[in-house]
Amino acid sequence: MSWDNFTIFAIIAVILWIAGAVVAWKSKKELLVYLFTISGLAVFFAFILGMWISLERPPMRTMGETRLWYSFFLPMAGLITYSRWKYKWILSFSTILAIVFICINIFKPEIHNKTLMPALQSPWFAPHVIVYMFAYAMLGAAAIMAIYLLWFKKKDILATEMDLTDNLVYVGLSFMTFGMLFGALWAKEAWGHYWAWDPKETWAAVTWISYLAYIHFRLGKPRQYKTALWIMLISFIFLQMCWYGINYLPSAQGASVHTYNT
Amino acid sequence: MWKQPWGLKEGFAICIGLFLTGIILQITVGKIDWDLFAFPVNIITLGVFIAGIATMHITAQKVYLFKWMSRYQAAVTAMLGVVAVTVIMGVIRQKPFHVEVLGFESWLGFSQMLSAWPFILLYMWFTMLVGMVTLRRLFPFRLRNIPFLLNHAGLFIAITAAVLGSADMQRLEMTASIGSENPEWRAYNKLGEMKELPLAVKLNEFTIDEYPPKLILIDNETGKALPEGKPANLLLEEDFSVGNLLDWHIVVTQHIPEAASMATEDTLRFVEFHSMGAAYAVYVQAENTRTGEKKEGWISGGSFMFPYKAIRLSNEMSLVMPEREPRRYASDVTIYTEKGEVFESVIEVNKPFKVDGWKIYQLNYDHSKGKWSTISIFELVRDPWLPVVYAGIWMLIAGAVCMFLTAGKTRKEDKK
Repeated sequence: MSWDNFTIFAIIAVILWIAGAVVAWKSKKELLVYLFTISGLAVFFAFILGMWISLERPPMRTMGETRLWYSFFLPMAGLITYSRWKYKWILSFSTILAIVFICINIFKPEIHNKTLMPALQSPWFAPHVIVYMFAYAMLGAAAIMAIYLLWFKKKDILATEMDLTDNLVYVGLSFMTFGMLFGALWAKEAWGHYWAWDPKETWAAVTWISYLAYIHFRLGKPRQYKTALWIMLISFIFLQMCWYGINYLPSAQGASVHTYNT
Repeated sequence: MWKQPWGLKEGFAICIGLFLTGIILQITVGKIDWDLFAFPVNIITLGVFIAGIATMHITAQKVYLFKWMSRYQAAVTAMLGVVAVTVIMGVIRQKPFHVEVLGFESWLGFSQMLSAWPFILLYMWFTMLVGMVTLRRLFPFRLRNIPFLLNHAGLFIAITAAVLGSADMQRLEMTASIGSENPEWRAYNKLGEMKELPLAVKLNEFTIDEYPPKLILIDNETGKALPEGKPANLLLEEDFSVGNLLDWHIVVTQHIPEAASMATEDTLRFVEFHSMGAAYAVYVQAENTRTGEKKEGWISGGSFMFPYKAIRLSNEMSLVMPEREPRRYASDVTIYTEKGEVFESVIEVNKPFKVDGWKIYQLNYDHSKGKWSTISIFELVRDPWLPVVYAGIWMLIAGAVCMFLTAGKTRKEDKK
């Protein structure tokens, strides 16, 4: 399996996800929704697995490779949300977002070679990245919900919709906590300290505390929906800074142990 | 403002007050020297801090501020304050503590945020609130409060132990050489001061496994890999023979993994050489698929004994073999302790060796000699507070498990 095969796998997966999203939107045939979306996930995961085997290392080193996981987890997060709360539009949104990330990978591919520096060769590597990508996907779904509620929904925001948003954030934040703390435990084994305020870690702290602020604001002011959603969207912007923004941030150039692109 | 009940406005006012107080302290007193908190000062500070929080908790019914401190409004504003000051840290390039900064930079201290007063005061306020709310939920104790306590107490323990323990942490660098008569027991801190250790390390062997070499194109003028921004490469695995880089079709006709270069009268050629300093060499035929231009010759990444060899494909670009990347490097060592214990171990990246409260990490080697390095550089770390920090971290992990499991279930009753 090589990166050249990506387009064909991605197209099949996307078609299946779109089919699932359309069925979810138009009809009540839930079984078909699951069938299409899960098949899409299986096709996409087959590609990830193929890359894993042919690269002889987990495909998680470059930004392109983490985007791969993100495009995989988004429809999965969408499907979990759909199965629990039956929002007919959530799969359309998660599919669109997944397509955006797939397109970035198709049109701006990065080098994907076999080398993996010794610092990354650790049993912590896979859980650290997978858990973070799943968290990002859940929080991405929550951000989509916030955008929908703030700008697209014509009627008043319902308490049940805020509950859904809260639940997505709770799940996302708990996984983000795992990702961050697994990272700390790994850092102790690899670099001698569990927290070194490396730029990525600084922004991870910002993101984590910012989502905590959302949760506490919701508990303290449960009826101020819009302010809460704003806090969440700002948190999501911090998340982008943490994920890839620091690669472009002048203050972080050459200062991070978290860049493995070259 | 300041009419009871206090809300978010008062919370923000307190944060801004702390920030400004921090700036004034920074200008007048200067940055905080964390080394002053070395044992036993950190234990005393911790005692005072916890006693203070306990006192505030007990008198919470009498003093409104203390009661308010365990409310959501206090928590949310403290978090946003901490977020704001950490964002400042994130956008300003940080310098190590021991670097002297002058003038405006030192007044604010934002380029050494971890020892800057505004940062510390806001984090202290945040941690105090976490402590207060932990105590409030701890007494009276209820089983259903366990997830809450794991999250909050875990965070409190991890932060206080990490911050106050930092002065007791030692990070030293040691260089050990193969064949030296005595094991090495001297190490150096960040300031270059020598420390004698209660343990000694003897380097028996140092090994590097490398990834196969790569072929890349570079720009003749800038030396940058092409295409710029996302350089392409060919990984020369054993079965590799044909590949493409940009417009060039590349055929490798001969691999010599351990080679020496030999200068003959008019050319440089490579022959088998199985000894120290051998370099990887390949014979390459390159053809430009657009112009049909052909070039061929030896390419080698060189070593500390032999120079590198490239092929100049055109006026613009050359085909080169960059240094090989290490797959794994490891030191075979014997470790002696003061008590007379002797350990044999292999230390490598991500696999430190633990002895007597120290962790010994593989840090570096002599890059100029690469895989024939006769030295190995270790980092030795001692952090007596680590078990406490880890207790906090594992409580937080357990708390996150609870948060995941109960998402969408328990909060209805909490909301009121």
